Amino acid sequence: MITALLVMIGISLALGAVLGFSAIKFKVEGNPLVEKIDAVLPQTQCGQCGYPGCKPYAEAIAKGEADINKCPPGGEEGIRKLADLLGVDYKPFGEGAAPKAKAVAFIDEQTCIGCTLCLQACPVDAIAGAAKQMHTIIASECTGCELCVEPCPVDCISMKLIPEDISNWKWPYPVYALTPVRNEARKVEAS
Amino acid sequence: MTDMIAIEVVYALPDKQTLLRQQVAVGTTVLDAIQASGILNKYPEIDIATSKLGIFGKLIKPDTVLREKDRIEIYRPLIADPKEVRRKRAEEGKVMKKGGGDA
Repeated sequence: MITALLVMIGISLALGAVLGFSAIKFKVEGNPLVEKIDAVLPQTQCGQCGYPGCKPYAEAIAKGEADINKCPPGGEEGIRKLADLLGVDYKPFGEGAAPKAKAVAFIDEQTCIGCTLCLQACPVDAIAGAAKQMHTIIASECTGCELCVEPCPVDCISMKLIPEDISNWKWPYPVYALTPVRNEARKVEAS
Repeated sequence: MTDMIAIEVVYALPDKQTLLRQQVAVGTTVLDAIQASGILNKYPEIDIATSKLGIFGKLIKPDTVLREKDRIEIYRPLIADPKEVRRKRAEEGKVMKKGGGDA
């Protein structure tokens, strides 16, 4: 009788210790769903979704406050991935949120006055320049978010379309026509 | 290797920007890193003695010691005269935006 009690107490203590240890050791930082959503988002930090960056948008989606179709840089592929991840239906882009053709910012050197306002606006540090020095967009870093266009006091930043050529052409994403399954077919499968 | 840091060297022209990533030893100065990067051979027009240098948009002296993930930027002088541009815009009746702001 005593032995059985001692064995049971011993087992519960041992398991308790393991649980307590793993709770500390394998503690999950933050919400894992937010991390997963954030990983799908394009990290352009452009704010076109209405949130200050990709992470806040991911948090809003996780909380159910935001729709999944608010990220133009992510494209339709991004919405599809989010829909898969969250187990909701695919939703096309809303009015005025459709993605634009890929473009990068371009600074007109004849009018740039080296004021650094565009540098401060750029979320991805894609502009090389300092006070009273020529500012230049590093095209390979530019995400085309247009956040630098507005702050420029002399309107010297324009968006330049990236022409498609051999170096940046890629296969278009496959488009599958989804046809709803008819009820008879479902019944046959079920039976 | 713990005594190496990753840095980048940037020289940007309007239609072609060069961004070189490299590893340098801790304690390397900006000038040393630029010379080690080979960007001067690529662009002979850079006069390192007179060019202004900076790290992420802040002007710095060539003997500044680099830190991990610094991006050295070699600048070019302005073409336009800021005063002239501002005066011209004022004459055309365009308002100078302050930029930034609450938006």
